[in-house]
Amino acid sequence: MAIETRTQEPTVDYSLPFWKRKTVLHRIDMAVILLLLIPIAIATILPLAYMFSQAFTPEDQVRNWPVEYIPREPTLDSFKLLVTWPNLPIMRWMLNSFIVSTSVTALVLTINSLTAYAFGRLEFPGRDFLFIFVLTTLMIPGEVTLIPTFVIMRRLEWLDTYNALIWPAGAGVFGIFLLRQFFQSIPRELEDAAIIDGCGKFGTYWRIVLPLSRSALIALGIFTFLGSWNDLFWPLIALNSNEMRTLPVGLSILQHEGYTMQGLGMAAAALTTVPVLILYGIFQRHIIQGVMVTGLTGR
Amino acid sequence: MAAISPEQRRIGKPMPRWRKLLPNYLFLVPYFVFFFLFLAGPNVYGFYISLFNWDILLPNKPYLGFGNYQELWLDKLWWLSLRNTVLFAALTVGGNVLLGLFASVLVKQQPPGHQILRFLFYTPVVLSVAVMGVILARVFNTEFGLLNYYVDLVGLSTQKWLGEQRFVIPILSLSTVWWTFGFPFLVFLAGLLNIPEPIYEAARIDGVNRLQSFTHITLPLLKPVTLFIVVTQFIAHFKVFGQMWIMTLGGPGNSSYSVVMYLYDVGWRFFRMGYASSLAFGLAAIILVVTLINFRFLGGRVEY
Repeated sequence: MAIETRTQEPTVDYSLPFWKRKTVLHRIDMAVILLLLIPIAIATILPLAYMFSQAFTPEDQVRNWPVEYIPREPTLDSFKLLVTWPNLPIMRWMLNSFIVSTSVTALVLTINSLTAYAFGRLEFPGRDFLFIFVLTTLMIPGEVTLIPTFVIMRRLEWLDTYNALIWPAGAGVFGIFLLRQFFQSIPRELEDAAIIDGCGKFGTYWRIVLPLSRSALIALGIFTFLGSWNDLFWPLIALNSNEMRTLPVGLSILQHEGYTMQGLGMAAAALTTVPVLILYGIFQRHIIQGVMVTGLTGR
Repeated sequence: MAAISPEQRRIGKPMPRWRKLLPNYLFLVPYFVFFFLFLAGPNVYGFYISLFNWDILLPNKPYLGFGNYQELWLDKLWWLSLRNTVLFAALTVGGNVLLGLFASVLVKQQPPGHQILRFLFYTPVVLSVAVMGVILARVFNTEFGLLNYYVDLVGLSTQKWLGEQRFVIPILSLSTVWWTFGFPFLVFLAGLLNIPEPIYEAARIDGVNRLQSFTHITLPLLKPVTLFIVVTQFIAHFKVFGQMWIMTLGGPGNSSYSVVMYLYDVGWRFFRMGYASSLAFGLAAIILVVTLINFRFLGGRVEY
């Protein structure tokens, strides 16, 4: 009898997520968790909402208190002013950012996948030594190479051109590490089959390994694009003419050179951010998985 | 009997070893061109430059030996910027780790909308430092900023957040935590999801309460993840430049002047490339030392 009554007790199915479990206790848990998390979420979103609302607020109202997140009289004036301002060629800056980031992404994907294929799938004397040699450079912070790279760029007369921003990215190490890991997880048999069918080494890389690595290539591509789009320090050093600037550099100039109009800066920030947010929206799964699986930073 | 021609002889003869291996090396050629030109080369060249009084605008560059490093050792501004940077990095890493851990432990319980929360928390990370700086400079603006608006609303006195020495580094840190905590959050979340659920089940059956299971199971098993986060985050935030460059320009006074800002000024305002290079190596040395210390204290194996 005693045993039977014990089975009558409500049991909790722990395999279900919290909110599907039917006990009162767990519902309370869930409410407390949300109560703690929602303020963090609001704090995360508020500054972004503020940016967009300020960008659409008329200039004579941006300093008003109380702050209105939804402007009473939304206007595109700041954007119009920004686009037509003679010293702020923002469309050109955006074009520069697009050209540089796309080229950097293409370069990194090409070079890193070739290298990762050799390190991960081919056998030859000195392979492991070379791989470790490349990895050790990760220990040295990139700041060390800034000055010498600047001097080299000056010799090559590449300063203030796209070349200065694009080519150094080809030496990136992280993508090699990431792709090598991924390539090693592809079953050997697929490659062997390709070789029997008469594929050369390059054919195997191009027709078998790359198509099977789509998700890793997308993740690396997105992170590379974002990193390049968002970079401030190197473009600030390597560029000096106004029309060669990328968006982040232009934005920092806007902040410094006495453009006191609030709406203008926020509109420029919004224009810089929108492409990034669109990418994040589309590729959020790849980005979040990329961070969770590999520890990629996205910057 | 016809003689065997050289062409016939070649058939069936194995390809020489070097012919077989050559394509493997060819895969590496493009990368190593870049590697030597833009990574390994500049590292060595940077050290070479640091031994000279290397003014980029002057034709002759006198050799100094380790003179630049001696000057660095005695440079008050270097030590001041180092102090600011260490303070900033420590506050930021601490804040990021605590907030990231807190949020990830809660999100792991899968409250309704947990995927939306995960998406939101990571959103600021994809912004450029320039965007982040422009927005948060407005948020912390003295006269019409968002923070002072709410401070005023609850009846407290408004402050010059970025204009006072005692606030400026903590505020820059807070801004950076807002911008980057999504990264440690996701990495911690991945770490939490890797802890096998049966461990918690077993503990629950043994009557272990939640706080105990957090301190005795979760925290010890997260040690490797924590080490990874602390090391990568410290390195990243030690190189802080953009936040100061956009929001404070190192002010008020030099109270938010960072090491990389100093590097920028020495190299690209005063064109003292040799000294700037020695500064970069000083930065590298400190990062290396701190990384080793972290391994010493947080390292060690974890056994399930």
